[in-house]
Amino acid sequence: MIMLSDVTKSYEKEYILKNLSFTIGKGELTFITGPSGAGKSTLLKLIYCSERPDSGHIVVGDWPVTKLKQKAIPYLRRSIGIVFQDFKLLNNLTIFENVALALRINGMSTAEVKEHVNSILREVKLTHKSKIYPLQLSGGEQQRVVVARAIVTKPAVLLADEPTGNLDAGNTEVIMNLFSEINTRGTTVLIATHNEWLYQGSGRRVFHLKDHHIDKEFIG
Amino acid sequence: MTTILFCLQSALKSIWREKWINMLTTLSISIGLLILCIFAVITINMDSALQRWSKNFGMVVYLNDTIDKQRQDELNAYFLKDKDISEVNFISKEQALNEVKKALGNNAIILDDFTENPLPASFELKLKDGLLEPALVKRKAGEMAKIEGIEEVQYGEKWLSSLYAISKTMKFGAILFGCAIFIAITFITYCTIKIFFHRKSEEIETLKLLGATKVFTKLPFLIEGLFIGAIGGIISSLAIYGAFIFTTTKVVEFLPSIKMMTSSMPLEIYIIIPLAGALMSTLGSFIAVGKIRY
Repeated sequence: MIMLSDVTKSYEKEYILKNLSFTIGKGELTFITGPSGAGKSTLLKLIYCSERPDSGHIVVGDWPVTKLKQKAIPYLRRSIGIVFQDFKLLNNLTIFENVALALRINGMSTAEVKEHVNSILREVKLTHKSKIYPLQLSGGEQQRVVVARAIVTKPAVLLADEPTGNLDAGNTEVIMNLFSEINTRGTTVLIATHNEWLYQGSGRRVFHLKDHHIDKEFIG
Repeated sequence: MTTILFCLQSALKSIWREKWINMLTTLSISIGLLILCIFAVITINMDSALQRWSKNFGMVVYLNDTIDKQRQDELNAYFLKDKDISEVNFISKEQALNEVKKALGNNAIILDDFTENPLPASFELKLKDGLLEPALVKRKAGEMAKIEGIEEVQYGEKWLSSLYAISKTMKFGAILFGCAIFIAITFITYCTIKIFFHRKSEEIETLKLLGATKVFTKLPFLIEGLFIGAIGGIISSLAIYGAFIFTTTKVVEFLPSIKMMTSSMPLEIYIIIPLAGALMSTLGSFIAVGKIRY
């Protein structure tokens, strides 16, 4: 589902990732870990084409990401759900509207949007807060909204960048349970985290990034 | 369709959210269009006045005293055949004398000293409207003066040159002024939309990451620009209509000659102004939004 082959990325002649290669199969839940600055976020950005690699190939499903033209990028991103570290919620829109935005972009009708958003908000247990604004929510609740927005379009791939970075243990568990549930429905999930607690004992594949490349791969 | 509706909704929300800056922009656009319209109305009226004056423009072809009736008829036929001439009028020596007498009134007595009629026979010619260009008329007069039996060709050379220069300057001024207003309105909208675009840069970034196309990202700004320009235009149209009604009902009472001016204002102007406002404003928004890169 996600394939990286000899991917190199540098900023101002300084390597972030060097000759990185790995494959994640369809329906897998995988972790990428490593110290801060190891290139975890950059790796995700390369996958959703927010950054372009210096060399190498990236394929997501049927999308040859590295060969994509500008106008095709939005369509690639529609097939990927992204959970951002800094949430990227629009503070002038309600929770309902924030989640609905992903569906609006896909051109869904108002009736369908309503049905899908209500269903997903029920799933993340935020139905009662659908009419309020992001800044009125706690960090954990905001993260649940971000997850809801990422999965409401039923993407084939879900990328999460430090999804529990600012959360307490309780909220972290809620978010991780959501990811597991999404994964059981067939979505390929890739989580970038430096939190060992997330993958230890999970029985999932973990790629450890160090010195611009994967220095070890193990089962968490 | 749902995308367009959503973008429309976003644009309307933004117009409401940023109502003060939008109101200011709309007002600036309407003032700009109003000034442009006033100038256009003045130009149109002055041009039609010039057209009216130019209709009276004529050339007088004086004939030799020795010319016989047959040559006179030949010249008459020649002028009638000329496609540049719209009207031919023959004035005989006697008619010319009568006209002079009429013009002199009581002083016509001075003509009694002449034993012979000193005035020559002539043709009064009127050229077609589109040919009233000084160089063209001069060439035409020169050609006629060479024809056998013609003594002299006279026309208001200076008057024609002045009329032509005024008309040309006015048209050039109107184009220049129109361009200046066009640029000003486009720039005003450009600035407003650019501010909105910068304010919403994070929102735009999020939309792009969620898979929004360029159209989805740009359309609300273009709609916003279109609305601002159209509303500015409608305000201008209403103001001009109000001024028109006021002029034709109130001002005309103490300045009757104004009626001649206002009567020539085209009705389409009330539709053209909002359309022009919308067009200029949308163009400004389009430039402001610029290229979106992923």
